[in-house]
Amino acid sequence: MSVEFMFIGKRTPRKDAEAKVTGMLKYTYDLEVPGMLIGRIVRSPYAFADIRRIDVSEAVKMGAIVVTPSDIPQKPYNPRLVSINEVTFKDTYILTYKPRYLGEPVAAVAASSEELAQKAAECVKIEFEKIYKPILDPLEAIKPESPRIHEKIMKGDKWIEVENNIAARLDYDEGDVNRGFEEADVIVERTFKTGKRYHMQLEPKAVLVVLEPGGKLTIYTTTQTIHNTRILISQLFDIPESRINVIRVPIGGSFGSSIQTNYLVPIAVALALKAKKPVKIAYTREEDILDHSNFVFHFKIKIGAKKNGVFTAAEFINILDVGAHQVQPYPLLGTSLGWFISMYKWKNIRYRGIAVYTNKVPGCALRGYGAPEVQWAVETLVDEIAEELGIDPIDLRLKNYVGKGELFWGQGPTVKSIIKSDGVPELLLKGKEIIRWSERGHPSEKKGRFRRGIGVGRGFHTSGAGGPISGEVIDYTGCILKLNEDGTLDYITALQDHGGGTLDAHVKIIAEELGIPPELVNIATASTETTPYDVCTHASRGTYVGGECARRAAQIVKQKILEAAIRIIGRVVNPEALRIGYDKELKQAVVYVEGTDIKLTLAEIARTSWQRNWGTIGAFVSYRATSAPPSFTVYYVEVEVDTWTGKVKPIRVVAGVDVGTPINPDMVEGQLHGGFVMAWGMAFTENTAYDPLTGEIMGRGLITDYKIPTAADVPTPEEFTVIIAKTYEPTGPFGAKGLGEAAMNPAVAAILNAVYNAIGIRFYELPVTPDKIIEALKEKGELEW
Amino acid sequence: MVIEIPLVNITARNTHIIPFEFEYYEPRSLEEALELLAKFKGEAKILAGGTDLLVKMKTRIIEPKVIVNIKRIQGLRYIIEENEHIRIGALTTLRDIEKSTIVEKNLPALHDAVKVMGSIQIRNMATLVGNLCNASPAADTAPPLLVYNARVVAMSTRGKRFIPLEEFFKGPGITALEPDEMLVEVIVKKNNKGSSAFEKVSRVVVDLAIASAAVYAEISSDGVIEDSRVAVGSVAPKPIRTRILEERIKGLRLGSEELKKAIYEIDREISPITDVRSTAEYRRHIVKVLVWNAIERVYRRIRGECV
Amino acid sequence: MKVKFILNGKPVELDVDPRETLIDTLRLRLKVKSVKRGCERGECGSCTVLINGNPVVSCILLTIQINGAEITTVEGLVGDILLEKLAKNFIDNGAIQCGFCTPGILLTAYAGIKQGKIKKSEDVKEYVNNLCRCTGYVKIIEAIAKTANEVWGHER
Repeated sequence: MSVEFMFIGKRTPRKDAEAKVTGMLKYTYDLEVPGMLIGRIVRSPYAFADIRRIDVSEAVKMGAIVVTPSDIPQKPYNPRLVSINEVTFKDTYILTYKPRYLGEPVAAVAASSEELAQKAAECVKIEFEKIYKPILDPLEAIKPESPRIHEKIMKGDKWIEVENNIAARLDYDEGDVNRGFEEADVIVERTFKTGKRYHMQLEPKAVLVVLEPGGKLTIYTTTQTIHNTRILISQLFDIPESRINVIRVPIGGSFGSSIQTNYLVPIAVALALKAKKPVKIAYTREEDILDHSNFVFHFKIKIGAKKNGVFTAAEFINILDVGAHQVQPYPLLGTSLGWFISMYKWKNIRYRGIAVYTNKVPGCALRGYGAPEVQWAVETLVDEIAEELGIDPIDLRLKNYVGKGELFWGQGPTVKSIIKSDGVPELLLKGKEIIRWSERGHPSEKKGRFRRGIGVGRGFHTSGAGGPISGEVIDYTGCILKLNEDGTLDYITALQDHGGGTLDAHVKIIAEELGIPPELVNIATASTETTPYDVCTHASRGTYVGGECARRAAQIVKQKILEAAIRIIGRVVNPEALRIGYDKELKQAVVYVEGTDIKLTLAEIARTSWQRNWGTIGAFVSYRATSAPPSFTVYYVEVEVDTWTGKVKPIRVVAGVDVGTPINPDMVEGQLHGGFVMAWGMAFTENTAYDPLTGEIMGRGLITDYKIPTAADVPTPEEFTVIIAKTYEPTGPFGAKGLGEAAMNPAVAAILNAVYNAIGIRFYELPVTPDKIIEALKEKGELEW
Repeated sequence: MVIEIPLVNITARNTHIIPFEFEYYEPRSLEEALELLAKFKGEAKILAGGTDLLVKMKTRIIEPKVIVNIKRIQGLRYIIEENEHIRIGALTTLRDIEKSTIVEKNLPALHDAVKVMGSIQIRNMATLVGNLCNASPAADTAPPLLVYNARVVAMSTRGKRFIPLEEFFKGPGITALEPDEMLVEVIVKKNNKGSSAFEKVSRVVVDLAIASAAVYAEISSDGVIEDSRVAVGSVAPKPIRTRILEERIKGLRLGSEELKKAIYEIDREISPITDVRSTAEYRRHIVKVLVWNAIERVYRRIRGECV
Repeated sequence: MKVKFILNGKPVELDVDPRETLIDTLRLRLKVKSVKRGCERGECGSCTVLINGNPVVSCILLTIQINGAEITTVEGLVGDILLEKLAKNFIDNGAIQCGFCTPGILLTAYAGIKQGKIKKSEDVKEYVNNLCRCTGYVKIIEAIAKTANEVWGHER
């Protein structure tokens, strides 16, 4: 489908670019108000302990405001509100007498300067009742003899017992798995383990809480969801939502790191309420790592296939290491299954998923919410099966993948819809040519110190978590669009731009719908009290869900503009006779009648509506998407392995993506570049390892030892090709789908399949550090040293 | 058995600020600086580039009572070629060394090392002498200077002494400096018979070394090692010279199986550990590859190739 | 302690605690907020400033250390032809995402191009080691290389 657009699909500069290059854009970290106090958090020096008493007398004597668990409502909560209440597991306390990971907040102080706050924090004395050995391995944690990290937690409004440290579980069966495996000619079974990655978004999390005259709270914070932040603070402190206003502040990257209300937000609220003064808490980088990293995934996957390359059965055992507290691992058990099921037609499926507590930093979503991990495992196994069967891996994928017309599990068992756009064949076949797939050779033919290999990885992500049926996941959005008195528009939404250009995409969609230049549309400042509810800018839903909502608002506004124009013009028969467009001579948007000289500027219409008291032309839309279509991605990667050092270098990348209609190709490319590089880190370097004795992140938890790729580590621009499939998603705004997560998901698989093609070795534990490669080469008898 | 679980005072680490107080001095002359060091003995820390010191202070690894900023002392930032010697002053930055044609021409291994040390920002700030005084087993400037048989000049109010660099490193973070001494200069004797090279492997390009190696060698035109000096980093509690290895590779031909075998002798001289950056086994392996690579590169340099 | 320096062309005289880092002086006292706090330990480059034209990180630098120096941040380069070229290429090339690393990267690239150290994309990889988590660096490298090319002509 080929549609000619005015603005969509064009490379356009972002509206905040000027503020960003001049350094004028203010992030939460930059905010200050007069008289504000600086908050510091007192953290547990042990990973797992019982506190007897917290002595704050010295800190109070210094003049600091201090809060301990005794000052704060002891209500368990889950920092991420995305599931409906009945399936939301709550085990976190704002401050706790029972720390369950090293660095968990136990008290907090506020003082007039960072230095005083720091001194006061160091004066808080914690007396411990009992100190336990940290449990860091989930397989250890589920043993009946292991101490219980949590005893009772809440599920919805009910208390439940935690058995064997299992935080949540999800099982699923479809068809007859045993028979499926009996029918198989080939069965491959592997276990996989990932690293515990950290988001490393450039802006550390921060919050500023201002107590307004009259006691109302204004909250500025690094968040992907202002509304859920407000709801959570309202619930925790029993303050009506109307007395809390959460402001949307530009955010310095996120990748899921602020998908929940971060721990520092309720802590700052507690301090501000007690101090009756504004309080700001800004994390150091080391503290930021303590306020969530990713989950650790342990998979055991078994796949059966017939000689003709048709799959017969799949078994998937998923053990999630969630860390010390739940930040929605239950829906992650569902999405892991969803990602798995929606990859290929397995026919018969058995899934057993458990989420297990350990004494580590709580895990939260990190770009892909399990999809990069699941797709790495699946795409590895599919390659292995292809090799066993002697079928080209690309043919095997084309034969079995879940595509157009088939049922897609967007985000778990309760979020399903039918796939209506599918660029997979185009991307697999085009990419294959560009990378020169047929010349890749077999690993056994490759000799010498430097060996090159080509790999493929295919995957997808959803565009949001919408669907025709209201399931366990909340997903809807809203926006306001109004015509100003001079013909410009204000666009008001609670959605956040993490950097990917989401709100700019909305502006282009509005402009396209109205036929007016994007410059006329202003992205208004937003807060919870001025915007309709939006669940969160997550799940790659910004463009697809938020964009469609904006388009619908523009559609209403357009209708109203035309109606007003008719009132002014008088003799036009109906709104259909009118067009809106940009007049190059007048340099503004006009309403006109084709073939006549009737022409009205938008400014004239707006001004007339104002001057004649016709009221504001505007729209309020609350929108639920009834689908969460997959954006497919296909990565072809060429790497070079130095078999002497175990170091791997990217040589060429072909990143193919099916985003439906690309709103801004620059931003599409940017997501793929960033997604690939993040995958490179996931594949080779990124992990937070824990000291088995203390439970501290090794290397003192400093980013000196959390290595993300630098410019010197990435492919040169000339060797990075992006291809955008020519598809059109009928349910999306102008055919568009989501991208942020799809951009990364299957890249790790492609990278490691390329490593296999180079040296004939597969790795099942991430990150694949040089020592692992050398060890494996040695075992294979191919180490020249 | 009861295992004592150590306390980790994570609340004390606030890298936004330096929360503890210290006395600060900004001497204008070397004499003044040395007097301060004599007065405060071990309580004082010298601040030059500050890239290591400030990180350690922010993370509370050290809390010095006195800081002596030597940046205002004139005449300590130089790279001088003087007859047979090259002298590098205490305030010479890594970036100065990187840009120096004297270093590039005469001390190529040192040039290799500074080029990959931290970001450009860090290289603009950090000093060579600071990197040595930090005495990290992973200090990248140490292996090259060890193969150049560099000497360092330590001064105090008691006088001046020359310390061979090999004797300067005592252990992780420990040097031969007395508490009242300051390292004022590094002296390297030029040796233009052979050439030198430095190699390292790290997790990402800009990073601390997992392991490193520097080689100075004299190699005949047909590729036989006539003489060599080899030093390695991150495979022992301090950067070390590997003399057994040097002895064994003498007379061997580049690219030969004998050379490879001889390089294995390095196992007797190193004692790598497993840490957050890598494993002992990998270090044991990779250091041999790095030595091999460095020798190859030296040979290509001797043959006039630009590598 | 008294310190004097030139900030973006204007003389500044302050009384500072010797413990104060330059990033705090700039952000908290002088309200220069383009200098971002990213890691506090010289790893990420978000707090880059130019001292006498050379990029350094301001988070592990005491303010008293820069007494007498000339400090430049992006605020001081408004109207500068090279910076405007760079900024334009960043914008036109889609090299900006969340923007948190942008001022630091612009300053580093500015110094590199001005000093003739960056002339092509390989030089960018060597010279600009600031961390960015959004862009994968590709468009940043392109934008800087394009600017260098405009300044220095095409070099291979």
